[in-house]
Amino acid sequence: MLKGMTRLISSVHKLDPGRFLHIGTQAPQCLAAHLDNQVATESPRAISRTSENDPAKHGEQHEGQHYNISFQDLKTVFSHGLPPRFVMQVKTFNEACLMVRRPALELLHYLKNTNFAHPAVRYVFYGEKGTGKTLSLCHSIHFCAKQDWLILHIPDAHLWVKNCRDLLQSTYNKQRFDQPLEASTWLKNFKTANEHFLSQIKVQEKYVWNKRESTEKGSPLGEVVEQGIMRVRNATDAVGIVLKELKRQSSSGIFRLLVAVDGVNALWGRTTLKREDKSPIAPEELAFIYNLRKMVKNDWQGGAIVLTVSQTGSLFKPRKAYLPQELLGKEGFDALDPFIPILVSNYNPKEFESCIHYYLENNWLQHEKAHTEEGKKELLFLSNRNPGQLERLCAYL
Amino acid sequence: MAAARLPASLVLQPRARTLRAFSTSVSPATRSPRPSPSTTERTSRYGRPLRRKALPPRTEKMAVDQDWPSVYPVAAPFKPSAVPLPVRMGYPVKRGVPMAKEGNLELLKIPNFLHLTPVAIKKHCEALKDFCTEWPAALDSDEKCRKHFPIEIDTAGYVSAGPSIRNPKARVVTLRVKLSSLNLDDHAKKKLIKLVGDRYCKSTDVLTIKTDRCPLKRQNYDYAMYLLTVLYHESWKTEEWEKTKTEADMEEYVWKDSSSEKNILETLLQIKAAEKNLELSKEELLGTEEVEEYRKSVVSLKNEGDNENTLSQYKESVKRLLNLT
Repeated sequence: MLKGMTRLISSVHKLDPGRFLHIGTQAPQCLAAHLDNQVATESPRAISRTSENDPAKHGEQHEGQHYNISFQDLKTVFSHGLPPRFVMQVKTFNEACLMVRRPALELLHYLKNTNFAHPAVRYVFYGEKGTGKTLSLCHSIHFCAKQDWLILHIPDAHLWVKNCRDLLQSTYNKQRFDQPLEASTWLKNFKTANEHFLSQIKVQEKYVWNKRESTEKGSPLGEVVEQGIMRVRNATDAVGIVLKELKRQSSSGIFRLLVAVDGVNALWGRTTLKREDKSPIAPEELAFIYNLRKMVKNDWQGGAIVLTVSQTGSLFKPRKAYLPQELLGKEGFDALDPFIPILVSNYNPKEFESCIHYYLENNWLQHEKAHTEEGKKELLFLSNRNPGQLERLCAYL
Repeated sequence: MAAARLPASLVLQPRARTLRAFSTSVSPATRSPRPSPSTTERTSRYGRPLRRKALPPRTEKMAVDQDWPSVYPVAAPFKPSAVPLPVRMGYPVKRGVPMAKEGNLELLKIPNFLHLTPVAIKKHCEALKDFCTEWPAALDSDEKCRKHFPIEIDTAGYVSAGPSIRNPKARVVTLRVKLSSLNLDDHAKKKLIKLVGDRYCKSTDVLTIKTDRCPLKRQNYDYAMYLLTVLYHESWKTEEWEKTKTEADMEEYVWKDSSSEKNILETLLQIKAAEKNLELSKEELLGTEEVEEYRKSVVSLKNEGDNENTLSQYKESVKRLLNLT
């Protein structure tokens, strides 16, 4: 209801944003009086919401506006993908609203015009800390989910190269290492995201797990996933099989595959994991990383690969590093070349206004000066229009 | 003792009041009734020779257009009474100003070049002119000097008064030469730079060789020239093991045979295969304009690093190559 009213307010009044926001926080009863008195003047100004909830229809006119993600999608598609602070915000506001921004729109434009016969194109979001790379990635994932693509989403590749308690020697290849816990959690989330695909896709090879269990050729992929979830020892191998099968079969055109990896620079960096003799493990010695590297290579057709490089969570990289070559290193760049780099920058003034308005609408900013011009200027100065910083600042207000 | 101090204070009083005059006229009202000696007399009234009244500083008698080199003909410590500048130096107390020059130890401690003003240096040059020869008329610009005399030798001589005229610092010889003036081809230049390491400055293209391992300056000079000769000849030779130069040894990024080339080739081949367009060969694929542009953008990205320009160029070239809108 508030959405409709804000749109009416904007179309009725010819106001500067300061006054506009002030009226936005007033009680709805005064609206009737306003409508009687004033005449509808010009086009709607910067409203922070749009009712267009399908990412496919997002265009430049929606730039800066928040759109709603339904709870259904949250549970399936985004069971493990959203940044933790955003999840908290969703819980607080009881709605998930994502801002439509230019980098995401650019990527959606490319995705809409993908040629599925050509090899998969790689798109890399890069930008400074807190500018919204992960949420842009989530926007594109939502788009692909609505278009009925199969989503292969690794929420944070950095989690796989550090803090792993139980490293087992891989059953498939003695040189590599397994990470059973992480693999099984990931498989569970993958299952919730792509439930309907798992029964359609059939495995094209026979896989023998151990002396008693094996998966026959032609059985649905869901079985492999189940096997991985139940038998935690084989979880990493199950993940490897899933990746291999998906890659092979996406070229045939049954489904479209979106590979989304956040923090892809972890694949070519260093790990903090050590063997029993305290010698460090290189990333390619982890079975999961090895398989994932094969996945982001562009030797398959029928989909797209969307990646972000982030310093947050990365190992042995300086805090100010945000450019792709710095974070990927020589090896990573050579592996990902050719890719399309997309810069995600801080909010522009329109987006900043929209964000403040959204917080005010949800009564998140309780400070009495928050809706005034000086308050906004102060927030602008303190956060430098950085989305992450702004969100942290507003949490205190 | 009070008695001894009193005349001194009385002597000071008139001086404080009358800055310049020698006169001893003081207002009788302020004077103590005790009889005080005249300040110009040197009476030994109290059994101690009185101090002569301090003369005004020399700065007051200096004309503006005086001959400064005669005030400071040699290096001398800073004399506040001889330097007519109102210099202040020191850390000020709160709400104060730096200390004045009178009795300022800071000004004494630092080296001063009051004996080397432009006027003084001009006079030195005039005096030295008798011992100099003419500058060659043909060398009237810097470029000509550099063209005919590309090697520059720096040596230092030391003169000091002491028991020995030798100074061990005098044996150091620095040889500077621009590599552009040497006849080097691409391989030779890269090899020379690798051989000398830190001694080459990339921004000014100058090779600096500093020698001091021999006891005499003459010997060090010969050694520096020998080093230059050896470097030049060695860099022109190609050894057997130079064939094993790997990508990590390369000074700059080379596109040919790089992984980037391979990637793009594979990608293009796959695109062509998808479009059932297998007539184009490898060379033709690599020779197209888009690939050329892509090559340039990758080379600039690798050599210059990431910045707005190179990244946007790279993005455009990839978009064009992969036929994205």
